[in-house]
Amino acid sequence: MDPMTFSIIRHRLFRIIDEAVITLKHVSGSAITNEGHDLMVSLYRADGSLLMGGVGFLHHLTSAAEACKSIIRRFEGRIREGDVFLLNDPYTAALHTSDIYLVAPIHFEGELIAWSACFVHVYDIGAMNPGGFSPQSADIFTEGFSSPGIRIVDQGEMVQDVVDTLLNMVRSPEMVMLDLRSMIACNNVARERMQALAAKYGAKTVDAAGSELIAQSETLLRARLKELPDGSWQSRQYLDVNGETATVRLTMTKSGDRLVFDFTGSSEQSRHAINCTKWASLGGLFAPLFPLLCYDITWNEGVIRPVEMVAPEGAIVNCTRPAPVSVATVAAIQSVNNAACATIGKMLAASDRYREQATSVWHANHFAIFKFGRNQKGGQSIGIFTETFAGAGGARSFADGVDIGGEIPNPISRMANVETVEANFPIRYLFRRRMKDSGGPGLWRGGSGGELAVVPHKAPDGGIHYVISGKGDRHPMSDGLAGGFPGAPNKYAWAKARNGGDVEAADTADGDAVSWGVFPLMGKDALYVRWNGGGGYGDPLDRDPERVAADVAGDLVSVEAARDIYGVILGPDGELDVPATQDLRAISRAARLERVVQ
Amino acid sequence: MSPPRSISPTLVLSAGKTACRACGHELAPVEASWKDVAVLDERPLGEGGGPMFRTDGGVLLRRFYCPSCGTTLDTETALPGEPFLVDRVDWS
Ligand SMILES: [Zn+2]
Repeated sequence: MDPMTFSIIRHRLFRIIDEAVITLKHVSGSAITNEGHDLMVSLYRADGSLLMGGVGFLHHLTSAAEACKSIIRRFEGRIREGDVFLLNDPYTAALHTSDIYLVAPIHFEGELIAWSACFVHVYDIGAMNPGGFSPQSADIFTEGFSSPGIRIVDQGEMVQDVVDTLLNMVRSPEMVMLDLRSMIACNNVARERMQALAAKYGAKTVDAAGSELIAQSETLLRARLKELPDGSWQSRQYLDVNGETATVRLTMTKSGDRLVFDFTGSSEQSRHAINCTKWASLGGLFAPLFPLLCYDITWNEGVIRPVEMVAPEGAIVNCTRPAPVSVATVAAIQSVNNAACATIGKMLAASDRYREQATSVWHANHFAIFKFGRNQKGGQSIGIFTETFAGAGGARSFADGVDIGGEIPNPISRMANVETVEANFPIRYLFRRRMKDSGGPGLWRGGSGGELAVVPHKAPDGGIHYVISGKGDRHPMSDGLAGGFPGAPNKYAWAKARNGGDVEAADTADGDAVSWGVFPLMGKDALYVRWNGGGGYGDPLDRDPERVAADVAGDLVSVEAARDIYGVILGPDGELDVPATQDLRAISRAARLERVVQ
Repeated sequence: MSPPRSISPTLVLSAGKTACRACGHELAPVEASWKDVAVLDERPLGEGGGPMFRTDGGVLLRRFYCPSCGTTLDTETALPGEPFLVDRVDWS
């Protein structure tokens, strides 16, 4: 194929996804989609293999490919132009029931030429707990509506009885319908643009370009892997739930142009909904792989071919039905993300050539907190604290992590404005800000996480409730690299008002710990949430003291941490005391060596 | 002279041994565990990282120092008794 046509088609495929994402957001009315960007749109070839991965949550790219393939198998001979299929069963392909895939065939002149697939985290899925994350569920049967594949649009006509059945099983059906409509519109745009592309260049040419693009990605990734050192790298992630700790263990081995991710030794599946299925684990390890190893390579089937996963059946990373999985995306999947990010980071850091591409682990621990209840307008609201998407960047070999810098698995994640939340829920923020001392210390500091506190405000029922699937308040999860510290762990606290008075903002962090289940936010009580910082890079004693002083001035590092961890002494006005710092660092280093003779 | 072969940002290969990049101190043969001969500083995470890291999870911060120059060669978080993470570069 001539290179101009190839490049034009490649760029058109990118733009088609961009336009589909814009459509999805314009039609959707939910904060998690519009404000949190908990979404994904991608294009797939006629056989369901990944043609062009889009932005959004990257752990969906491979799972949605399996969703397409599963629909192809189930509906063979009955897939027609204008159909749309829904799939959200985690044991078939989905990550959890509330991340619904809408998968749509794209026909041109009567031939199936491609698929588009998208997901949003729907407003509700009818699980035990509102919002989709269902910490009180003990099995998949109580995690809401779940389909291994069902047709919801038949040749352009809504299959209303099927859709009504789904809507009959969820809270706020009008919002779920809007979610479905946004995804249908998104797929419609992708289909129309793909058809226009086929009309202009010919379906065969477009498919040939896709095939060449996949071959190109495979060649490029294999070449990159060959440039990286052979070896194996390990990571482990502790996942604590309600006092129990599960472990995700990963050994990543690179030999020649192949990568193997082996999760042998991980904990057995949990009775809590933190498990994930094998398709979810596969997606989980690809989420950091796409941006870290393929930042200049098109994300498609070609990237998948050099990679193999070993995940023992019955483990927390490959659970068996009917284990509960509703919290998977912020639990086992996220730990797979983190572990893969850590091992890929170590592999890149081992290479003098690729060290600048290495990163410590970013925002490793989502806090899924869904608030729900009657709002100030008298309606029912359900919604996540989108601050969980705000994240914190991991430090790199040449720079600090970005404060409140997002996360690796979703390059476009972000959080809602405080005002948006307060307009839709009867709550008021006492504060929302960067969290001092949360970024993992190092030569380069991990990005700061954040903290917030909210109280009920003009709530017709005196307050609301919230579902919390909180983990990571016992173990830090954002690992450091090359001697850097991990980012500080999360914290969740229920600050109770005493004697009818208001809770002081400064005291909210000292409330009672909450982590798992449904809790009230009533009266004058407050909910405090702290989210983790990114991992650090290198030895904190090697950090430029001027940077430490600037961090203290910026309220990102405390005077105590500057002294005790970084070995930096500041004067009364925050100015750097160079001789005292040199002395303290020499003493700290010597103290390390004294341990040799202990 | 070609630059030393890299094992990690803090470690290099030197005559078949894993060595400290900062000072050149040879730690162990590459096939052996260099962490076993590094200086291990293992303490509760809250003690190592400060108040923000204090939890009731019993997790430890492990720091591995070069026994010659005191540079931190690597860190881990671990529950008590957890084996060291093993990272290995094959330069054969
Ligand atoms: Zn040394």
